[in-house]
Amino acid sequence: MKTHAKLPSTAKSSRWHGLHLEPIWWSLFSAGGVCFAVFVPAVVLVFAILAPLGFITLDYSQIVSWYADIWGLLFTGAVICLPAFHAAHRIRHGLHDLQIGGGLLSVVICYGAAALLSVAALYGWWQLSG
Amino acid sequence: MRNCSIAVQRYLPHEHAEPFWQHFTVPFDESTSILDALNYIKEELDPSLSFRWSCRMAICGSCGVMVNGIPKLGCKDFLRNYLPRNYLASESTAAVSAAEIRIQPLAHFTVERDLIVDMNEFLVHLEAVKPYLITDAGADETPLEKHAQTLAQTNKQTPAQLAKYKQFANCINCGLCYSACPQFGLNPEFVGPAAIALAQRYNLDSRDQGKAARMPVLNGHNGVWSCTFVGFCSDVCPKHVDPAAAVNQGKVESAKSMLIQMFTGRG
Repeated sequence: MKTHAKLPSTAKSSRWHGLHLEPIWWSLFSAGGVCFAVFVPAVVLVFAILAPLGFITLDYSQIVSWYADIWGLLFTGAVICLPAFHAAHRIRHGLHDLQIGGGLLSVVICYGAAALLSVAALYGWWQLSG
Repeated sequence: MRNCSIAVQRYLPHEHAEPFWQHFTVPFDESTSILDALNYIKEELDPSLSFRWSCRMAICGSCGVMVNGIPKLGCKDFLRNYLPRNYLASESTAAVSAAEIRIQPLAHFTVERDLIVDMNEFLVHLEAVKPYLITDAGADETPLEKHAQTLAQTNKQTPAQLAKYKQFANCINCGLCYSACPQFGLNPEFVGPAAIALAQRYNLDSRDQGKAARMPVLNGHNGVWSCTFVGFCSDVCPKHVDPAAAVNQGKVESAKSMLIQMFTGRG
């Protein structure tokens, strides 16, 4: 009688069997989704609405000194890097849904753009903090 | 009794090469369901119409059809839902032709005849996720011996343990979520919403030890990762199973399972 298929017992052959990168993209997408929902609206409210309309006044040099600290790194990750990967993942799957992409080229362009944006933002923080 | 216009998409492969629309006028009141209308057509107007049905109370899951392009259970959907609110009360009969209800076979499945589709395309995916209790005890025994042993065991479960999976256990295998899922439409190899919900149902069951046997199917590209979270599966589910939530929980489990496999060699 046929029993349930079991994974190969040797560690080397089973360790990488069936693995792919999708969980990594999805994890970045999930984390970015939380940041998009929680942090981005607050940032937009403060920097794009309250400050320009004069409800609050921002001290530029004070902000720069905060940003140069660890808070700037957290801000960059939560407001730029993770939301960028979230958007890249959504655009890639949107292309798949519309049947005009979603394959390797879309992967390279979407996540490549998110990675470039992230690296540029992190480099900016590095320059300020250094 | 008022009358209502209904168009049914017919497919009779031995008589016509292509599907065609047939129009009927059906009497109805507030309690006439789509299934009642189909039965009226078969009994009074055209006995050649074919469709599946059994229980008439949203339990058997066999009367799924597309109504105006949305997957519905024929017995749980009513003609009154598709007509102007004042139509039943009004004296005018002019609205009969104005509001025609279109009934088609479930989308994304192969049509065998009229409203009958090949449900095997869904059942193979359901079977692939092993939707039954798997226990480690007696791994060398035949399935029959194992079944007898399972029956002999007492499986205790607290209400809290039951609550973890109860919602996903309400699935009646009607296949509406597969008709609603654009990913299943693009890729018939996708395991799909109901099968993933059932896999999650057994993975969450405290009496089950078969998670390791199910995860390879869910981990693959055609497993949970084919879902792009459209969420229409949960909208159309007649039993409020919320398969989209099961798929998302499955993604967390799959990510964990693949990470564990990468480090330990076992999923």
